[in-house]
Amino acid sequence: MTDDQELMTAIQSGDAQAYEAAVKKHLKSISHYAFRMLGNSKDTEDITQETFLRLWTHADTWRGEKSSVSTWLHRIAHNLCIDYLRKDKSSVTSEYLDEMEMDDRPMDAPDNTDKLTALKQALELLPERQRSALVLNHYHGFSNREIAEIMDISVDALESILARARRGLKALLLGKSSSSAEKSL
Amino acid sequence: MKITPERFATIVEVYGSQPEHWPVEERAEASAFLAQNPSAQALVAEYQSLDAWLDQYRVPALPALEAHVLSQARNVSTGNAFDRLMDWLLPHSGRVLAWVWRPAMVACLPLICGIYLADYFSFGIESPQNSWEEELYLLSLNDYAETLE
Repeated sequence: MTDDQELMTAIQSGDAQAYEAAVKKHLKSISHYAFRMLGNSKDTEDITQETFLRLWTHADTWRGEKSSVSTWLHRIAHNLCIDYLRKDKSSVTSEYLDEMEMDDRPMDAPDNTDKLTALKQALELLPERQRSALVLNHYHGFSNREIAEIMDISVDALESILARARRGLKALLLGKSSSSAEKSL
Repeated sequence: MKITPERFATIVEVYGSQPEHWPVEERAEASAFLAQNPSAQALVAEYQSLDAWLDQYRVPALPALEAHVLSQARNVSTGNAFDRLMDWLLPHSGRVLAWVWRPAMVACLPLICGIYLADYFSFGIESPQNSWEEELYLLSLNDYAETLE
């Protein structure tokens, strides 16, 4: 029996210590993912709490042969974040950016103090799925197969999303939608 | 298989600027292509700038979050069938359904108690079980009378 299976079996039987161990192991990754998706502490706390509440109440729905606990939790967090962002009417993110040509002008943030703000703004401008794929790929070190599983898409579709995300972010931050380097290749 | 410029650009866009993140089966060829091609080096340099920008993103500490996450489990039932039934019958406060459902369940409680008490004490009404026993007894007597005839 793997560590994940032992942990989840204990959580299913209501073992609070096993739940605490799982929280300590995965809290940082889940909360960081939520923060990078949502951009503020309050929503991050809500989504993180809801993710772990589902771990506690729905541990019996986890299938060890299909995914690791980490992948399963990130999938819950991903779905919650996407639902939240789509319901949040004030959100500036929308899929229309998929269709739209990226502006070639970089954001006005050349100095270090504003760099983080510019990055947050640029990430928020990416469509939700592109943002999620990029965050899971760049910050969390998941393999493409794992990210595809978290997002419930094929690996080919994920690669397409990741390429668009990086191109879009490069256009927003560096002002290069289709660089001379790419054109000359 | 020789790597094409288009495929090299796709690899960098999908997997980023660091060769150790590139697919294992294409890494050697892509690295060789990078070493020989100045345009590929310029493209990788652009994506290195993007990766460096992304690396600056630091998430602020959320010191109270772990305590909140742990405390919520103490207030919520676990996933066994009985607890889920109870959770469905008596939803936690905060849900819209709870505002209607809980008073309805409370109102039904005297009715359920009444049915149980009435069934337990019977209040002079013979139970159906006794009636069936009498019926069977009479039928057997009837069969016995017929055999005597």
